[in-house]
Amino acid sequence: MNIENTKAQLRKGALELVVLSIIRQEEEAYPTDIINRLKESELIVVEGTLYPLLSRLKVGGLLDYVWRESTSGPPRKYYRLTPSGDTFLNELHSSWRSLVDAVDNTTKTLSYHE
Amino acid sequence: MNKVIQINLGGLPFTFDEDAYADLDDYLARLDSYFRGSLGHAEIMSDIESRLAELFGQGTKGRSIVVTSDVSAAIATLGQPEDLGASVSDDDEEVVHDRSRPRHGRHSKRIKDYGYSSYGRRLMRDPEDKVVSGVCSGLAAYFGTDTVWVRVAFAAAFFGAGIGLLPYIILWIIMPEARTAADRLAMRGEALDLQSISRQVEYEATQLTDRVRDWGDDVKRNGWQNPFYCNAKGSRNQRPSRNSEQARKRYSDEGYVA
Repeated sequence: MNIENTKAQLRKGALELVVLSIIRQEEEAYPTDIINRLKESELIVVEGTLYPLLSRLKVGGLLDYVWRESTSGPPRKYYRLTPSGDTFLNELHSSWRSLVDAVDNTTKTLSYHE
Repeated sequence: MNKVIQINLGGLPFTFDEDAYADLDDYLARLDSYFRGSLGHAEIMSDIESRLAELFGQGTKGRSIVVTSDVSAAIATLGQPEDLGASVSDDDEEVVHDRSRPRHGRHSKRIKDYGYSSYGRRLMRDPEDKVVSGVCSGLAAYFGTDTVWVRVAFAAAFFGAGIGLLPYIILWIIMPEARTAADRLAMRGEALDLQSISRQVEYEATQLTDRVRDWGDDVKRNGWQNPFYCNAKGSRNQRPSRNSEQARKRYSDEGYVA
C-alpha cells in the first residue's frame, strides 16, 4: 500500500468541496487565485488538476464565469457559483461534516481499544 | 546560438528559444490528447494556455526570451498529463450519475471496466505472428495461453482425427484481422490509453525498421525483392525461391492467396 497514493485520493475527494467554497468566499474567483489558496493549504500538487475540475463543474451547471478586464494582460475568466452550485455546495458541506464526525468517532473508538 | 520563434500564447506575445518552443509544443500536444474526448476540452486547453502565459510572464522576469528551463519549470508547476489524476471521462460519468440518469451512468461504467479486463479481449487474427492466417495466435491471445499449444492442438486435430481443418477455416473466415495498433491492444485486452497505444506504435515501428534493414541486407546480397513479402519475423528461408512457378505454389499454400 502506498501512503502517498491514499493521501492523493483523500485530497482529490475533498478538492471539489474546497474549490466551491473558495469560489463562494471570493464571490468571483480567478483560477490563479484559487490555485494560490489551494497551494497555501497544500491541497494540490500540480496546478493542472484544477482546470479539468473547473470545466467539469461548469458543464455540470454548478459554475459559470464572466470575463473581466485585467490591468496586466488579456481579459481574465472569473468563476462564480450558480444557484444550483450553491445548493450543491451546502449539501456537499453537510455531508462532509457528517463524514468527518463519523470518521473521528470511529477512529477514536479504535484508539481506545488499543 | 539558437533560432527564436515568436508565438501567441493565451493572447500574449512571446519570443521562444527554438528548443523551448519544441518542449512546449510537445507538452501541449500531450495535454491535448489527454483531454481529448472530455467535455470542455477546448476550454481546458485555453485555460491552461492562459496560465502558461502567466507563468512565463512571471518566470522570465524581464528577460526577453523564454528558454527551456522556463518551460520545464512551468511544466513542473502544471503537471504532466499522467499526474492529473484518474481518467477524465470517469469523472464526467459521475456527473451524469449524480444528476439525472443513475442507471445509465452505472451501466456504462461497468461496460468500460470490462473493457480493460480479460473479458474485454477481442477475438481477432494476429497478422504479426502467423504461420497461415494468424488464427492460432489470435486464439492464444484471447485465452491468454502460448500460441504453440493452440497450434499443436489444431495440428493434432487435423492429423489425428481429421476434423481440424473445417473449424480452422470457419475461424479464419469469422475472425477479423487485427490491423491497427488499437486492434492489437483490444486483442490482448490491454487498456486503450495514450501510453499503451504509443508503446504499441513504437513496437511496430521497430519491427518495421528491422524488416526494412533485413531487406536492405538482402538486396545487397541478392538484388531486389519486395520487402513486405516475407512474414513478420523477416525470416528469409520462408521466402519463395526465384523459380516463379514454385514460388507461386508455396505462396498459395501459405494462404497469402485466397
